[in-house]
Amino acid sequence: MTKHNAISALSRRNLLKAGAGLITAPAVLGSASAFAQARKEVVLVNYGGAAMKAFDEAYVQPFAAQGGRIVLDGSGPLNGKILTMVQSRNVTWDICDGGITTLAELGPRNALEKIDYSIVDKTKVPAEFAYENGVVNYMFSSVLAWDTAKVKETPTLADFFDLKKYPGRRMMRKDSQAMLELCLLADGVPLDKLYPLDTRRAFAKLATIKKEVLYWNSGAESQSLMRDGECVMGLLWHTRANILKGETNNRIAFTFKDGLLQPGLWVVPKGNPAGAEAFRAIASMQQPEGQVKLLAAMGNGPSNPAAQALVPAAQRAMNPADPANAAVQAKINAAWYIENHSKTFQAYLDFISS
Amino acid sequence: MTAPAARPMPSLPRGLHFSATGRYWLLIMPALAMMVVFYLYPISRVLWMSVTEPQPGIDNFALLATSASIQRMLMTTARISIITTLITLVLAYVVSYVLVHSSERVQRWMFLGVLVPLWISVLVRAFAWFVLLRREGLINNTLISTGLIDTPLSLIWNETGVMIGMVHYMLPFGILPIYANMRDIDQRCIAAARGLGATRGVAFRKVFLPLSTPGVVGAGILVFIFSLGFFVTPAILGGGKTLMIAEYIKVQILEIVRWGVGTMLAATLLIVIGGLLAVLSRIVDLRKLFGAG
Repeated sequence: MTKHNAISALSRRNLLKAGAGLITAPAVLGSASAFAQARKEVVLVNYGGAAMKAFDEAYVQPFAAQGGRIVLDGSGPLNGKILTMVQSRNVTWDICDGGITTLAELGPRNALEKIDYSIVDKTKVPAEFAYENGVVNYMFSSVLAWDTAKVKETPTLADFFDLKKYPGRRMMRKDSQAMLELCLLADGVPLDKLYPLDTRRAFAKLATIKKEVLYWNSGAESQSLMRDGECVMGLLWHTRANILKGETNNRIAFTFKDGLLQPGLWVVPKGNPAGAEAFRAIASMQQPEGQVKLLAAMGNGPSNPAAQALVPAAQRAMNPADPANAAVQAKINAAWYIENHSKTFQAYLDFISS
Repeated sequence: MTAPAARPMPSLPRGLHFSATGRYWLLIMPALAMMVVFYLYPISRVLWMSVTEPQPGIDNFALLATSASIQRMLMTTARISIITTLITLVLAYVVSYVLVHSSERVQRWMFLGVLVPLWISVLVRAFAWFVLLRREGLINNTLISTGLIDTPLSLIWNETGVMIGMVHYMLPFGILPIYANMRDIDQRCIAAARGLGATRGVAFRKVFLPLSTPGVVGAGILVFIFSLGFFVTPAILGGGKTLMIAEYIKVQILEIVRWGVGTMLAATLLIVIGGLLAVLSRIVDLRKLFGAG
């Protein structure tokens, strides 16, 4: 009997313990999740590839040192994907690597959060690239590159459209953005008088070389067309031109002169899961040190003016935002794109496919 | 509940008995439910969006009549698809004819040649053609070094390049149905025709060709429908200048987010293909073509 009592007493005590555990467990878990809520995980989406490792070193680790968490997703934040998430109220992304066209298509559709400039520091970016729905994260340029095996002297943008002086195929992007600007610059429009774009004049200029132009879709395609000697000159991103220059031992050269300086933007989809923590992550990524690392790794130009001084002398030539390089380039105008991107892009596709 | 219902059990109330066909229906119910949820529902959403985005009405479909850009793109798509289909059918017919009339050993090797490309990614194949066809590529270099031509041929970055790539991709889809059909033709019919005095040509034209027509029609439908939706090959081998419907839809949906126009074009494609199949089903037995019955 005593033995039986002991067992039942023991089991009763265990039961009580277990019960106590059951009661306190949710409280413990609750406080843990409350703690986690204080610093939510921020999902940052870019276009993958080399950017995954570079972003990790430049942005994820410094933010982790401050107690925050960024998770990288390289699946590519296309406009249509972001809008689908927002409209189905199932947003899983917090920060997307976008551009002017993201602002142009998604801003008016009310799919982007306003940048919280009480957290993101406006003084750490060039004023013209801090927008209501997006803020610059790095600078890049659309530039003229050429094959020195076929083009002996340094060509100008006007030479790109001169088939008599330099016969052979040209290469442009399958996107009106930057391409129409470069058409106009070649036609003699001054750097600071580009906007509003005279699209008719730009298409007329493009028509003069239309038969000899190939159009690239992806950055990799632009590299392959120049590398294999299919084109004598090309308009492409400076980051890709820079890689080409290295891998061809300077056979492919490029210039920032008469290029178009464009901002890569951080945008935040409406109703993002991490809320304001996304803006704290963006603020952390404004630190100059990480931006300089990104320049060394991928050629992305630092957006924080304070970072320019930290750039090693050897890397200045490939930095689109370097004051010397920025001075010879035009700067993109977001307001014009918000008004005109859709129809200009469509007109460009129609023009090149007709 | 389904297990006891599947076997006749006298103790169950009458209501739970299923007739023979009822039980079959029960077996295909899961598959049917999947079809509805993952196929019919999304497609109806697409059709619905094509008449509701950005505002209700048939504005999007009106673009088919008014937009020069859409009309030109549709013409390009139709032209490339029709020419691709015709070339594919001719080549596939020749290959199938040789296949049927060769020894088993040769057949095995030929099948390997037909099927291996089918298993290679379309992207890889497009880039392989790029290596072969470009100005300083294998074909142009060979032709120039043998002195056949002195300026490189424009084999790529135009519709020629697109069609070369597409025909190559489509060939297995042309060969397999035609071969299957030819294999079933009774060779004694040809022997009989020859025995009755027909020449080789006449026997082929009056006996073999008509008997192989169903295979050709089936292959034609398959290849044409596939061609209409082609995306990768035109985008890569067309030099960016050949805009077909799949790429056009992608731009509308993902880049300039005009979902109404994108879904309208997708719906149009669906209607055209449905219409084609409906017309053809009056001419040939589609079920037989695709292997049933």
